[in-house]
Amino acid sequence: MIKRFANYLGLAAAYTRLNLGAQLEYRGAFVSQVAAMILNDSVWVVFWVLFFTRFPVLRGWNVADVITVWAMAAAGFGLAHAIYGNVLALATLIAQGQLDVWMLYPRALLPHLLLGRMNASSWGDALFGYGVYLAFVRPDLAHFAMFVALTLAVTLLFVGFGVLTGSLSFFVGNAAGLADQWRFAMITFSTYPAVLFEGAIKLLLYTLVPAGFVSYLPVQALRELSPGYALLTLLGALGITAAGVALFYLGLRRYESGNLMEMRG
Amino acid sequence: MTSAVELQGLSKTFQLSSGWGRRRVRRDVVAVDGISLDVPAGQAVAFIGPNGAGKSTTIKMLTGILHPSAGEARVLGYTPWKERRALVRHIGAVFGQRSQLWYHLPPRDTFELLARIYSLDRASYTRRRDMLIERFGLAPFLETAVRKLSLGQRMRAEVAASLLHAPRVLFLDEPTIGLDVIARQELRDLILEWNRDEGLTVFLTSHDAGDIERVARRVIVINHGRVVLDDKVSALRRQYLGSKILSVKFHAPVQPLVLPGVTTLKAAEYALKLEVDTRVAPIEQVMAAVLRAGSVADIAIEDPPLEEVIAHIYAQAPAGAG
Repeated sequence: MIKRFANYLGLAAAYTRLNLGAQLEYRGAFVSQVAAMILNDSVWVVFWVLFFTRFPVLRGWNVADVITVWAMAAAGFGLAHAIYGNVLALATLIAQGQLDVWMLYPRALLPHLLLGRMNASSWGDALFGYGVYLAFVRPDLAHFAMFVALTLAVTLLFVGFGVLTGSLSFFVGNAAGLADQWRFAMITFSTYPAVLFEGAIKLLLYTLVPAGFVSYLPVQALRELSPGYALLTLLGALGITAAGVALFYLGLRRYESGNLMEMRG
Repeated sequence: MTSAVELQGLSKTFQLSSGWGRRRVRRDVVAVDGISLDVPAGQAVAFIGPNGAGKSTTIKMLTGILHPSAGEARVLGYTPWKERRALVRHIGAVFGQRSQLWYHLPPRDTFELLARIYSLDRASYTRRRDMLIERFGLAPFLETAVRKLSLGQRMRAEVAASLLHAPRVLFLDEPTIGLDVIARQELRDLILEWNRDEGLTVFLTSHDAGDIERVARRVIVINHGRVVLDDKVSALRRQYLGSKILSVKFHAPVQPLVLPGVTTLKAAEYALKLEVDTRVAPIEQVMAAVLRAGSVADIAIEDPPLEEVIAHIYAQAPAGAG
């Protein structure tokens, strides 16, 4: 089991190297995409900094907490799509029957195919996430170690959520548009302080749009240096990923049986 | 001889849905209809048929991508759809219109990644890679980004990449599509060489008669999901149409030849090109008539072009097919 996991990490590292090498063939385009994303993320942080200069506390949260939310979301989203870039294309790959080529390799299908592409601008998110946390929050070693561990859980959450939404293509045809909309909702809610929401919306944040595992539980874990909240974050990420993987393999049966064909009319 | 590929009554039916709500209707479309065949290890087979005949569906079942609706298949002893991951370690696939090479990186980088994907032992991988580089002549462009390669170079690298893990069966889907004459010949020769020297079983689909003639020894034609012909390539032209092309040059002008079973394809003052249906007019009878017609300067008897034979076979739908 450990040997297999180590082998997979080696494969993931090889793909990341290769994908990065391919991106760096167009160095200027890559650097400008990364820089543009850092700038884009920074604009939002400036907005929140200005907001907190007028209203120093928002339902018990201060500017450092909101910057932590942004750092967590950006680092998690960035790592997820820098390494597993095909998550963003999954719905289209399924709808266009492009899983075939991945099925010709002796690897577990899903974790292998997700490695096949890199989203360049996601490196901007990842760099921004770790950079802004170090620069603004200035954590001690314990907080930084927990932050890194939590970003890995959030990375898993974004990958699992992408698989879950992308796999809808198995059932509804081309779900690319639907998956995009759902992902945008997830990103939007992930970057707003979860303390703003109550009632039904709060329930939504731990189910249909599981942004609460990005914008609330990890922040509470860091505020209180609480292993309990950290564990809940991890469990949430594992739960969403398990649901995504289950839906993918359930849908794959339809793909393998060739029952995905639809005609217009 | 052991079998590399065995099919027994393999069938695949797709369900097509159309319309909305109450008007939504489903209908079954039979793509593959009870195919049975046996390919011995080391044989080069052309698996051909018109568009929509069921070739791709069959290959997808043989590589474990699709589950059949009925029937059995064994590839190298594995049931593809049940043991896909074990099987694909021993098979290679080349798709003329789909690349497995990294477009922006040199072929060497893809080879390194493939070594990882197949978990190849470093020493044996290096040996195999160097041998492929030499035999496929990849050295001059091994460090050049794939996007800068000619299509011929790319396809050579593509086939070499598919052989890196030493597969025992190679599936080739239109490998020479878009290539110029020289690049086509080079690629065909390489595939043939690998088939003869390494005992690689080759399963080739192509619409190019040259690929079939040069690479394959056996041709299996499918149409409407069924096997309509399974024979040696050499026997295909001789037996299937039963016609010959006769080109004759004379020393003096001649009149056109009128004989039952003989069609004049081209007539000039000193030359005739005739198509002879040997079932109606035996070739010696036609030869005698030609010699009577005038003083012969040169004569050639040829089989009809393979394209014509294939087109003729495609045009004949099996009874009850739909």
